[in-house]
Amino acid sequence: MLGLGDFWIFAAMIGCIAAAAVGVVYGALNWNRGGGEGGDGK
Amino acid sequence: MNLSTLLLPAAIPAGGMNTVVLGVLIALYVLVIGFLGYRGFRQTKVRRDYLVAGRATHPFVMAMSYGAAFISTSALVGFGGIAGQFGMGLLWLVFMNIAIGVFVAFVWFGRRTRRMGVALSAATFPEFIGKRYRSNGLKLLIAAIIFLFIPLYSSVVLIGGARFLQEVMMIDYHLALGIFAGIVAVYVIFGGLKGVMYVDALMGTVMIGGMLLLLVLCYVRLGGVIPAHQQLTDMAPLVQERLPQAFALGHRGWTVMPEFNSVWWWTLVSSLMLGVGIGALAQPQLAVRFMTVKSDRELNRAVLVGSVFILGTVGSAYTVGALSNVFFFSPDKGIAEGVRQLAIEAAGNNPDRIIPMFIREALPPLVLYFFSLTMLSAAMSTMSSLFHVTGSSIGNDIFRTLSGSGRGSVTITRAGVAFGILVSLGVALLLPPGIVARGTAIFFGVCAAAFLPAYWAALYWRGATRAGVWASILTGVGTSLFGLLFLHRKEAAGLGICRKLFGCTELVSSHPWPFVDPFLYSLPLALVVLFVVSALTEKLPAQQIERCFPAAGSDSERHVK
Repeated sequence: MLGLGDFWIFAAMIGCIAAAAVGVVYGALNWNRGGGEGGDGK
Repeated sequence: MNLSTLLLPAAIPAGGMNTVVLGVLIALYVLVIGFLGYRGFRQTKVRRDYLVAGRATHPFVMAMSYGAAFISTSALVGFGGIAGQFGMGLLWLVFMNIAIGVFVAFVWFGRRTRRMGVALSAATFPEFIGKRYRSNGLKLLIAAIIFLFIPLYSSVVLIGGARFLQEVMMIDYHLALGIFAGIVAVYVIFGGLKGVMYVDALMGTVMIGGMLLLLVLCYVRLGGVIPAHQQLTDMAPLVQERLPQAFALGHRGWTVMPEFNSVWWWTLVSSLMLGVGIGALAQPQLAVRFMTVKSDRELNRAVLVGSVFILGTVGSAYTVGALSNVFFFSPDKGIAEGVRQLAIEAAGNNPDRIIPMFIREALPPLVLYFFSLTMLSAAMSTMSSLFHVTGSSIGNDIFRTLSGSGRGSVTITRAGVAFGILVSLGVALLLPPGIVARGTAIFFGVCAAAFLPAYWAALYWRGATRAGVWASILTGVGTSLFGLLFLHRKEAAGLGICRKLFGCTELVSSHPWPFVDPFLYSLPLALVVLFVVSALTEKLPAQQIERCFPAAGSDSERHVK
């Protein structure tokens, strides 16, 4: 577990990286969406 | 100064760094800030430019500005030091900051706030809520709460920045306070939100660069990622041996969670993870940034930048804070050869000193200069956003509403910002030492309990009524204040009002209540009150609901654009 002493700290560290990765993927996938007149994602 | 000297670790004498080099760096930095503030000033023509940056901000600028306003010196140095004292459990706060503070905030709150802000022509948070529920009274109430509580937070950030200038530049504290407030005042008053956001984007870039450099150098210095973690894990038995008080509070090591239901567990989970993590959703100075972009596309792009920003800044600070124990305890490293200390011992029991001490002792001088700019950036960017939101509340929401002036005058708002800065400066001079962390916590808790139910309902619940929102906000503020004054030990003991009135530190002393953050009961209570009162009182007219929730691309939305 990356040298960490507890599953919950390991989960926190992986969770931080995973959450940021989700943000990056979401931003990249929706990079050009929502730019229309109403900005509603269409 | 020779570059090789700057790149060698621990080459700086304990007294500090070369103030001439730092002075020149800061002067150059201030010149760039001045230029960006001037750019904002030149582009500010109407009220909308001053309050919501003309609703045409670039997504990178928006995301960096949101992040830089969100993350202050107290998050990096203050909470980083707490991680040095209690360990990596604080990484859960980083997770919450990214998942809730960025993802949920941008995707579920940001988009609707932007669209509704356009539909209602709202330019500040109080104006947004006031127009959504068609109530000038609500607008005044929210502006008054902002005016009362934000100076508490902005003044502690001001104090933090001034103390930093005082220490590194070796100048008088009051002079530092004046210089610091003066620089920020100029670009906030003249540049408006455009100036603030341009400067924030620069500062955010410096912050993420500085913190990532710090993390990488820390791992390099300690022999790599896993070896560094393993060394810290192996130090766990030292807690009981050398920190018996922390052990009694539930501290069990720097790479394990605190003991379940212990004092430190409750602080970590209720105050930090939930209070600060969820509290970020309802901060007026952050919510207003959603109204600064042109379309949802900018918010989508900002999610990418914002997530990386939070991971890189606070993620680095809390990891480095905890790992500093390995450095200070290592016999061949530490503050002197052969001296083995835990981080909190090396910092003389003051967690605020852990991060700066680690940087001074363990890393090359160049990092210290860069880190100084990072710290000034973190303090100034948070402060400028708070000054702006306080000033716009006074000038735009309170003064314009009470005077009945319908004209969109930038001058009135500028005067409001100047007044807000003077108030913050005054509060900073009056506050006793040691108030920084408490002021921040109080602000986050009160904001969350007071504004979150009303803000969520504004975006998602058509059935919320004006009376329901009034009752919810008053319940949120009232319960938070009651909790702070009479139940939560940290504040109740510090303020002493409970002892004066009832002769005891707190009203309920059975575990865990003195350690449960007031946010944990004030927010649900405010939410229940919103539902109950809304169910019993008169609904808003259907026409108003249609105006607030326009169909995508409808005439009304096009019209207001």
